[in-house]
Amino acid sequence: MTIDLDRCTGCRACMVACKIENNTTQTAFWMYVFRLETGIYPDAKVSFLPRPCQHCDNAPCVKVCPVGARYKRDDAIVATDWDRCIGCRYCEVACPYGVNYFNYKDPKKGLYQDWKDPAIQSATVGAVPGWANPDLEEKYGSENRSIAGGNHIKGVMEKCTFCVQRVEKDMLPACVDTCPTHAIQFGDLDDPDSSPSVAIREKSNFKLLEDRNTQPRVTYLGSAIGSGAREIERPSVRE
Amino acid sequence: MATVNQIPVLPYGVGSVSRGWLAAIALLLLVFVVGAFAYSRQFMYGEEVTGLSDVGTRGGAPWGLYVVFVIYFVGVSTGLMLIGVVAELLKIGHMRAITRIAEGLAIISLLLGAMSVLADLGQPLRGILNFFRYAHPMSPFFGTFTLVVSGALFASVIYLFLTLRPDAAILAKRKSGLSTFYKWWASGYKDTPAERARRERSSIWLAFGILPLRILAYSTLGFVFGLQVGRPGWQSSLQAPGFIILAVVSGAALLILVAAAARHIPGAREELSIPVFSWLSNLMTILLGVYLYFLLAELLTTGYTSTEAGWRVTSSLLIGQFAVLNWLSIGMLSLATALGGWQLIRRSYSLSMIVIAGVLVTVSAILQRYLIVVPSLTTGHLLPYEEGTYTPTLIEYGVVLGLLALGALMFVAFLKLVPILAIHKESD
Repeated sequence: MTIDLDRCTGCRACMVACKIENNTTQTAFWMYVFRLETGIYPDAKVSFLPRPCQHCDNAPCVKVCPVGARYKRDDAIVATDWDRCIGCRYCEVACPYGVNYFNYKDPKKGLYQDWKDPAIQSATVGAVPGWANPDLEEKYGSENRSIAGGNHIKGVMEKCTFCVQRVEKDMLPACVDTCPTHAIQFGDLDDPDSSPSVAIREKSNFKLLEDRNTQPRVTYLGSAIGSGAREIERPSVRE
Repeated sequence: MATVNQIPVLPYGVGSVSRGWLAAIALLLLVFVVGAFAYSRQFMYGEEVTGLSDVGTRGGAPWGLYVVFVIYFVGVSTGLMLIGVVAELLKIGHMRAITRIAEGLAIISLLLGAMSVLADLGQPLRGILNFFRYAHPMSPFFGTFTLVVSGALFASVIYLFLTLRPDAAILAKRKSGLSTFYKWWASGYKDTPAERARRERSSIWLAFGILPLRILAYSTLGFVFGLQVGRPGWQSSLQAPGFIILAVVSGAALLILVAAAARHIPGAREELSIPVFSWLSNLMTILLGVYLYFLLAELLTTGYTSTEAGWRVTSSLLIGQFAVLNWLSIGMLSLATALGGWQLIRRSYSLSMIVIAGVLVTVSAILQRYLIVVPSLTTGHLLPYEEGTYTPTLIEYGVVLGLLALGALMFVAFLKLVPILAIHKESD
């Protein structure tokens, strides 16, 4: 995946698309866009930094998982088997990027609307939630493991899956598909003609926290955001 | 069973039930039930009832009080076992008085440590199964579970079994309600010279094995933190050695407190004499000095060479949201060192001073673990997240208190089955 910081307008459509596709709970942002500010008025500068899971090749979270629920797939996706996860949160503690979201409560109670409300139920024919995507319950890959989507059960870890349920159908991840400025590109980095490969060749680029040797699979195009950047606003923090 | 007019058949109150003992059991049971109720809330509703939350946009700490007490309990267990084994190996005569307390407490606190891990898990039932079913050796947790829970627990139980056998053989001969239990424990052991030599040989070899095993096992818990590239404030090669030093310090402190309380057991006061406590106090003081030196070295390294995030963690400890706790715990550790050092220099020891130092060290050892676990999670962000917060809830305090009560229950039950001081020495 490549993310062109010069193109990103900070609209956060990717965050919304991710939530709808993956059915995540309130305050869980598998894709999160930092809206950052550097410098002091009148010389302040605003910049945006989308932050999906970096799907590292040398992933600290994969190394520390005591039960192998967090693992690296052959196609480079770092997946979380919610059917195996024991909820120790070591992956979250190990991750330098803060991309993990734990189901502290029954996820059905963390949705944006009360889908058990009779008025809503009459419109959704009883489905909870109304947009529940059956693909999220499937098993994926040659390992045949439960790795897609969020909101399954309480007490397990979840995070960005690169929309594995879409990628396996040759579709793009939801954030990529929805980005109005085509800031996010997704494809096979081993293929020299794929859009991320071309983008990396043509533009100066960097990876997040490269000095940690996590070897991320997400490459940022454009110039790095200087130190001392601060968030302009933050979302409501608690579940 | 002992009656008022008879000399007790079994020593040190073993097998006899007094009113005070029953009252203590009732009180501890009550606290344990409160803890169990607190845990039942967490089990049903998930960890939203705790103060834990996610690192990053949710601005919290995913590890808190439970992990703090995992480190504390396993640390105390390691320290106690090391002290007990070393006292036995070096054949320090008067220190034999505390070896049994140390070994019993070591096993109990190891069990409590394992339970604290389960309390922390989002899916505890899966945890019990999957730790074994899908064990992943690359995870530092793997070492903790194989070495600590399986290896160390097994070795410690066998060690206690062996060291208790001569006493069991003696007690089995006396007529009491527990003689069947002792017969089972002695399992044919008669304490003949040949048997004694064999038992002592195997105990010594086991002790030699336990020493490196326990050090390695607890080091893996230090590496759980020390190996993390993503958490400034944790990544340090001093983490594991620091864990070991503080483990022995906190083990000695708990041993001082329990042994001081055990002096009230009839007949135990003579053996649990001042030399026992002064030896423990000296050990604790010297290692406290080493620990404070480690703290200083760590502070200087992170302060002088620090990255932006590393400095945020350090400054949160020095002047930020953890400053009060940090200075309180350093102050208490220094005071305990001063108390112990003063007595060491003057070569004159007072039990009450040693006990005060023990209390100070026990409290600040728990605080130290809190100050290792939490600040790095709430302030050590490498991306521009804002500073997080973590405040434990009543549920978490309840569960921890319940665990402490369970440990105390196990220990008082242990005292009713096993003589707190070895008796085979006095009868040979």
